[in-house]
Amino acid sequence: MATNSKAYSLPSNVSPETVANTSSLLRIVSLALISGAAIASRLFAVVNFESIIHEFDPWFNYRATRVLASKGFYAFWNWFDPTAWYPLGRVVGGTVYPGLMATSGVIYNILHALHLPVDIRNICVLLAPGFSALTAWSTYMFTKEMKDESAGLLAAAFIGIVPGYISRSVAGSYDNEAIAIFLLMFTFYCWIKALKTGSALFGTLAALFYFYMVAAWGGYAFITNMIPLHALALILMGRYSSRLYVAYSSWYAIGTLASMQVPFVGFQPVRTSEHMGALGVFGLLQIIAFAELVRSHVSSKQFQSLLYASVIGAGILGTAGIVGLTYKGWIAPWTGRFYSLWDTGYAKKYIPIIASVSEHQPTAWPSFFMDLHFLIFLFPAGVAMCFKQLRDEHVFVIIYAVVASYFAGVMVRLMLTLTPCVCVAAAVAFSSLLDTYIDPAEPNVPKEEAEATEADPGAADAPTTPKKAKKASAPPPTLGDFVGKFVVDEKKPHGIFGLNTRLAVILNALAMLVFFVLHCTWVTANAYSSPSVVLASSNPDGSQHIIDDFREAYYWLRQNTPQDAVVMSWWDYGYQIAGMADRPTLVDNNTWNNTHIATVGKAMSSSEEVAYPILRKHDVDYVLIIFGGLLGYSGDDINKFLWMVRIAQGVWPNEIQEPNYFTPRGEYRVDDQAPPAMKNSLMYKMSYYRFAELFGGQPAQDRVRGQQISKTSPTLDYLDEAFTSENWIVRIYQVRKEDLLGRDLKLANAFEAGRKRKKQKPPVRRRAIA
Amino acid sequence: MLLLPLLALFAFPLCLAATKDTREDLVRLAKAGNGIIKLDERTYDSLTASDREWSATIVFTALDTRRKCGPCKQFQPSFEAVAQAWNKVPATSRNEHFFAIADFDEAPKIFTKLGIQSAPVVHNYPVAEGPRKPAHGKPYPSTYDFSNGYAPEALAEHLSLYTPVRIPYRPPVDWAKYGTFAATGLILTTVARFIFPLLKSRITWAIITIGTILVMTGGHMFVRIRGMPYSDGPNWIAGGYQSQYGQETQVIALTYGILGGAFLMLTLVAPYQTSKSRQQLQVWLWSIVIFVMFSVLISLFRVKNRGYPFKLLL
Repeated sequence: MATNSKAYSLPSNVSPETVANTSSLLRIVSLALISGAAIASRLFAVVNFESIIHEFDPWFNYRATRVLASKGFYAFWNWFDPTAWYPLGRVVGGTVYPGLMATSGVIYNILHALHLPVDIRNICVLLAPGFSALTAWSTYMFTKEMKDESAGLLAAAFIGIVPGYISRSVAGSYDNEAIAIFLLMFTFYCWIKALKTGSALFGTLAALFYFYMVAAWGGYAFITNMIPLHALALILMGRYSSRLYVAYSSWYAIGTLASMQVPFVGFQPVRTSEHMGALGVFGLLQIIAFAELVRSHVSSKQFQSLLYASVIGAGILGTAGIVGLTYKGWIAPWTGRFYSLWDTGYAKKYIPIIASVSEHQPTAWPSFFMDLHFLIFLFPAGVAMCFKQLRDEHVFVIIYAVVASYFAGVMVRLMLTLTPCVCVAAAVAFSSLLDTYIDPAEPNVPKEEAEATEADPGAADAPTTPKKAKKASAPPPTLGDFVGKFVVDEKKPHGIFGLNTRLAVILNALAMLVFFVLHCTWVTANAYSSPSVVLASSNPDGSQHIIDDFREAYYWLRQNTPQDAVVMSWWDYGYQIAGMADRPTLVDNNTWNNTHIATVGKAMSSSEEVAYPILRKHDVDYVLIIFGGLLGYSGDDINKFLWMVRIAQGVWPNEIQEPNYFTPRGEYRVDDQAPPAMKNSLMYKMSYYRFAELFGGQPAQDRVRGQQISKTSPTLDYLDEAFTSENWIVRIYQVRKEDLLGRDLKLANAFEAGRKRKKQKPPVRRRAIA
Repeated sequence: MLLLPLLALFAFPLCLAATKDTREDLVRLAKAGNGIIKLDERTYDSLTASDREWSATIVFTALDTRRKCGPCKQFQPSFEAVAQAWNKVPATSRNEHFFAIADFDEAPKIFTKLGIQSAPVVHNYPVAEGPRKPAHGKPYPSTYDFSNGYAPEALAEHLSLYTPVRIPYRPPVDWAKYGTFAATGLILTTVARFIFPLLKSRITWAIITIGTILVMTGGHMFVRIRGMPYSDGPNWIAGGYQSQYGQETQVIALTYGILGGAFLMLTLVAPYQTSKSRQQLQVWLWSIVIFVMFSVLISLFRVKNRGYPFKLLL
């Protein structure tokens, strides 16, 4: 460019050092502000409610962390919890990803060493917001490798406040994902850095963070397969290099050995199919590296072709070996949870317990938009930008984008793994746009060329470089034109004329960013900040009314029942009962024993007579159910009831059958038309026991199902109502002991009620034939 | 006193003979129907007699075109395939279990008697007498759960719980599939020379990748897994936040595509425009496209999520 015309003038008396220093200061300040925003927007839950652990799984993590903080790491490691999965118990140390608890434990010990007596609960509550700031930083580092610092800052800002990530990391959401996304992004950053520089140091760092990730979250399998996939794609694209070899080998060797130190993972990295891809690519890389080495020393043509054949042969042999080992049973096939990602009908058919979790449902488009807002359509644009440059690291983002968007479509919960990729790609697209339109330089177009293009627009698109000429000569002639249209030549003069276009685009972009912030704040405040242990509703005057039935009931259990009283409930509430009521439970959210869960499902869905022996055999003292019919709380047990039936049916297909719980017309009803199996089920009886009395003769209305409940309350012969919370959300029943006189409890009740025992046929007596 | 048991003793071979006769009757009927007994009221009663020593699978269906029972027609081939597979079993076991069909137009009284209001329904009658009597001892039929679809594999697997031996059902060899495979392979090898440069082109991959992303983020997997219809008559947008129709996927993917494409146009194409006036036209055009399409998207989202407080143009 001969003369540089500018759309607007910049001060020219600033030295380059000043610019560099100022921009680096600004970057630091921006990152600090982004971290602050990320932490602050996650505190809605604490401000609106209180500093409390949320939902279900976090209660277990919190309980385990308390054990770790009070008794030390070794006690935690060897902790056998006899109160979970009564009477089986649970070896917690060997069945848990300890990364989260260990992190909190370390922070706790450091703070106490500094004489800052912080309660362990507050560390647990605030861990996720704290780590979200680190996630923003690691996303910045990652995106910096993709484009530049400005894209990095945008990506950090996006991931800091995007609802897709906030949904799993608000204050109090003390779950594995809270730290896992930081580890995911940082491992990926180290991998990209290792690949770019060919440095074994960064490869080792990637392995170390991979180890941390393995210790923290079961989703580590995503990294285990993403990195090999990336390496394989690079090999197939003919981009093998010694950098790739060093990076991958150091990551795989150290990372795999390290990951096997986590007891819960153990020998899985060499024994299960999920990890075989990584091993296979490792082997392939060794073969290719060896071939490259030999090739560089040998020149004979025949030998080279021999080498080529032997490499292919070794590859085939290795693949056959893995297949054979899988066939022989040495390598376990895919586990159900992973398998259900590929065969989407699999889980529903064979593992209802996986299908029953709401997080495992497929994602409809409004969820995508809710969680990602305008990033969702910048995402494909960013991926297209990656295709334009297509350096090694861009291949990574492209693969990540395709894989993660498929996974997020199959399971709502995996939206979390998609979010970082969307933020990175969207930031690349957005910052390219800003770069183009903020740059003050105007294009310097020679006069005649401008006229020529005015006259013949097609001429501007004609291929000019040899590379494109080659493409244009490829058989389908349209392809060349197509390439010429979109892969624009960097060397050609380009830029934006005038100020009005710049302002139009930049104002539009800024307005979008403002809208994004408003959207994120609204979604965070309204949708993702409810602890779900405490519910909120608003009074007529608009003030907040707190519904605290869960804690009320759990504390009742804690203070009114013996320490060893066994509580049976559906598995969703197992962790909460253990955490808040401190009582043994039959089943909990660690759904490892399907039969045990099915037993609870069977007890809940059969009649009292059938359920009672089951309850007694499992020493159940109390049965706890969640009932939302009075308040209109839709996440209650009657709505989950069909899953109990289904899971029980999976184990006892002859005794429990789902169609029996529907009316002949196939409806799910709880009113007068409910089928007998439904009406006699323990769950139905416990839910609607004495429900009609509340309405004092008026028709009793179930506010969740919108149906009228019959006026006569179900009768319970084997259970006694022990406690019902203020809004009837939690109802607790005590299981009666066997009758002292050895009568059937039903008869005993009838006797006490003054009813006469029904005349039965006298027993047949044998009479001697004489 | 002795008389009564004695009489019963005499009667016993008689009723044995009776059931034997019924069984032979049923075997004959099954043979005539190529493994499936077509039921009327009389044969239904004898098949499900309370002292039966055999088990039976009965499908209640309505195959007549007037009834417009799509699922019945869908299910019929699976049922026939499974019943025919049962024919391959040796006669001794084969005659222990019968497959039967009751069509609404031929035996409506059975339907009224059982109170069946929808079709198809599959009932499994367990053995009521004899050594194969189930442990729970209940002679009532159980209903087959269609929630896993109408596929013959699942049906055969489930029915095998009631038959004396496993139903030797094997899915027929899908020659069409193999043929298509072979043909595709053949075509691919012949045109590989032309396809290879296409495969090496990043444009091809970019189109595949971005197409996949758009379709996935449009909620395609939801529609597929839940088996949602393409649209519900004139309503192409499903009410509710957790639901969507097939057509929504297309509209949303297209909207995302236009918006993303507009950004790409602004960033990659407009700056290379060498004429100032054309460039300005382009930039303004694409900016307006972004604004309008984004407003459309927000208004669509407001349909799905009623409580959403923000809106742009619409």
